[in-house]
Amino acid sequence: MKRTIVFPVLFLSLATAIVLSIGLGTVRVPPLSLLETLLKGVGVNWLPAPLERDATIIVFLRLPRILAALLVGSTLAVCGAVMQGMFGNPMASPEVLGVSAGGSLGAVIAITAGIAGRSFLALPLATVAGAVIASAVIYAISSLRGNVSLLFIVIAGMAVSSLFNGATSALLMFSREHEVSQFIFWTMGGLEGRTWMHLAVSAPVLVPCIAVLAVHSRELNLFALGEHGAASLGMDVEATKRLLLILCAVATGTAISVSGPIGFIGLLVPHFFRFVVGADNRILIPASALGGGIFLILCDLLGRILAPPLEIRVGIITAIMGSPYLIFLVVRSQMRRGGRL
Amino acid sequence: MNESGLLLDARGIEYIVDGKPILSGVDFTARSGELVGVIGPNGAGKTTLLRTICGLIRPARGDILLSGRPLQSIPHKEKARMVSYMSQEDVVDLGFNVLEIVLMGRYPHLGAFRGESMEDRELAGRMLSYVGLPGFENRRFGELSGGERQLVLFAKTLVQDAGLVVLDEPSSHLDMRHEDSIFSMAQELAREGRAVIASVHNLNVAARYCSSLLLLDKGSVAGRGEPGAVLEAGALERVYGVKTFVSRSIGTGSLMVGVVPPRASRKGMRIHIIGGAGSAVNLTRELHRLGFVLTGGIAHAFDSDEILWKSLGIEHRSIGAFSRITDRDVVDAARLVESAEIVVLCSFPIGMANVGNLELASRAGRLVVLKPEKGDVERSFFAAEAREAFEKLCRGAECTTREALLSMISSGAPQE
Repeated sequence: MKRTIVFPVLFLSLATAIVLSIGLGTVRVPPLSLLETLLKGVGVNWLPAPLERDATIIVFLRLPRILAALLVGSTLAVCGAVMQGMFGNPMASPEVLGVSAGGSLGAVIAITAGIAGRSFLALPLATVAGAVIASAVIYAISSLRGNVSLLFIVIAGMAVSSLFNGATSALLMFSREHEVSQFIFWTMGGLEGRTWMHLAVSAPVLVPCIAVLAVHSRELNLFALGEHGAASLGMDVEATKRLLLILCAVATGTAISVSGPIGFIGLLVPHFFRFVVGADNRILIPASALGGGIFLILCDLLGRILAPPLEIRVGIITAIMGSPYLIFLVVRSQMRRGGRL
Repeated sequence: MNESGLLLDARGIEYIVDGKPILSGVDFTARSGELVGVIGPNGAGKTTLLRTICGLIRPARGDILLSGRPLQSIPHKEKARMVSYMSQEDVVDLGFNVLEIVLMGRYPHLGAFRGESMEDRELAGRMLSYVGLPGFENRRFGELSGGERQLVLFAKTLVQDAGLVVLDEPSSHLDMRHEDSIFSMAQELAREGRAVIASVHNLNVAARYCSSLLLLDKGSVAGRGEPGAVLEAGALERVYGVKTFVSRSIGTGSLMVGVVPPRASRKGMRIHIIGGAGSAVNLTRELHRLGFVLTGGIAHAFDSDEILWKSLGIEHRSIGAFSRITDRDVVDAARLVESAEIVVLCSFPIGMANVGNLELASRAGRLVVLKPEKGDVERSFFAAEAREAFEKLCRGAECTTREALLSMISSGAPQE
């Protein structure tokens, strides 16, 4: 029922979002130009060649930016779904658990040490390293006792976040002014100026990570039975947990090296789709991947067209769109019994 | 399964947390066809033992063999096809529906990258009907009652289809109808040739359904064997730290364990009760509760009075059922009567077999003869000499009601 129509709807929405996003902006590009550019790209010459200007905008400005939004949005949403399933906690996500903060610290170290400018790989490696360290701390905390309460893991995540954010601020105090503005600009999360180079660095990491996470969705389901419940069904709980967590850390670190930390997607997109398609991760994860991508493409588009020629950064848009939804969830859970989200 | 049907053979299990032993030297076996109940007070190590034998936690010492193979050497998924576990852990409510939860039990049977087949779904549906939740497939698990959740998790365990089934307090949230049904299903599993191990708090349930029991006390085995051998008032008092009495249910014939109400401690006054045909039951209970030192007799074996005195640990004299009280018996019981400050003669029919009790009563220092009241057995006489003896007895005694007797002795009782 819902599940059979959800994927056609999502693919259709994705196509629409891409077409809209290519066409709209400070300079309007008609859909015909998109078609012309695409056909030319695959070597078919049925239509006249597109305007040089349009082709450049499509190929070098909008398309890489849209694909970056798709990749980053998918990654953050999938990592959110995985962390929620693994910790049995609807409030978990890379940002709530401090993984994003770890990545940011890595980024600020790379920027202030001056290595970020030297190589295309420096910033991604630094954010991944920061995210992995933060995940290791969360893993250590969650393994202290067998069953960590829902609230405890969120509070631990907040503590880890504050620690890394504090370290970041401390580093920024001793930085030169242009580094500070570079970093602050980066922390707001944005996709402008993303090039094929960014995609070439991140996609070979992100696509396999998402694929492996999706393959483990059956195991992820078992976490709902508690660690002993899952282990009694023949799952190696610790090994699975470590694998999923390291994949999430690498993927989150890579994604935010492209876009900067973008809030709310990891928390809210899986939440929304759990409501629509149910909790089975075999459906929830692909749905979140598509939905997260669509959501970020549309948020980015909104940022570009709301106040041209000014661009509102996408991190600000997701925060403004996400907060009311989060408040709605909290209020609804308070109205129903048990305070469940 | 090996020939003896020994599915689980655990020896010398020790489990230590922070230097404190949770299990020390526990031996535990389960055979095909058995339903083994693990009982013991809170914190005795029941859950720890169950988790250990499922391989969920690793003991510090000890060997665990599953169907003759060392537990640690069996790969995870294969182990999950051999032993299933229903835990007490709460399922996190992320929005899974009932069918999805039950189907998780098929996980160890599925190959990599394989989803559940149509047969798996049908099996899950059948098991849901079997546990009494037909049509619950699409209900949200988190919105079920605690009892319904337990039944769903039991269905998940059934779907797992393992030879050894381990249930950690499977009925803790169930009403008596569903408790009966879940343990009947557990018995069914045992009849199918599986071995079922269940930790149980309710000793009456343990006695009724389990083929054998393991009594744990602070991590050690305090008793094992058939329910009748394990559920013994003395052992239970040592382990649970409360006085119990063990009787038999009239309805099912199975053992019943109850807690003896706390006694007011009252020093001194000894009361001897002469009863029969159940006439002393109410008075005994009342005086016992008030804390008097009681003795009883002479009773016939299997009389309700005798059964009660026995289960409360009251010193008494008894003779074989339907046999006649002889002079010798009277002499024998006289010590109890003579050392009592008050001797109470209850209202019961008197015939040749128990006329000796009147002779016994005549030896009392202070005799109280109870008047028959509503609901009591009538004091009829089946022998002329019995009536004579009774009338003679009454002349030197106080005749009163049970109520009056109780108020008299409880007001005048605190004599040092």
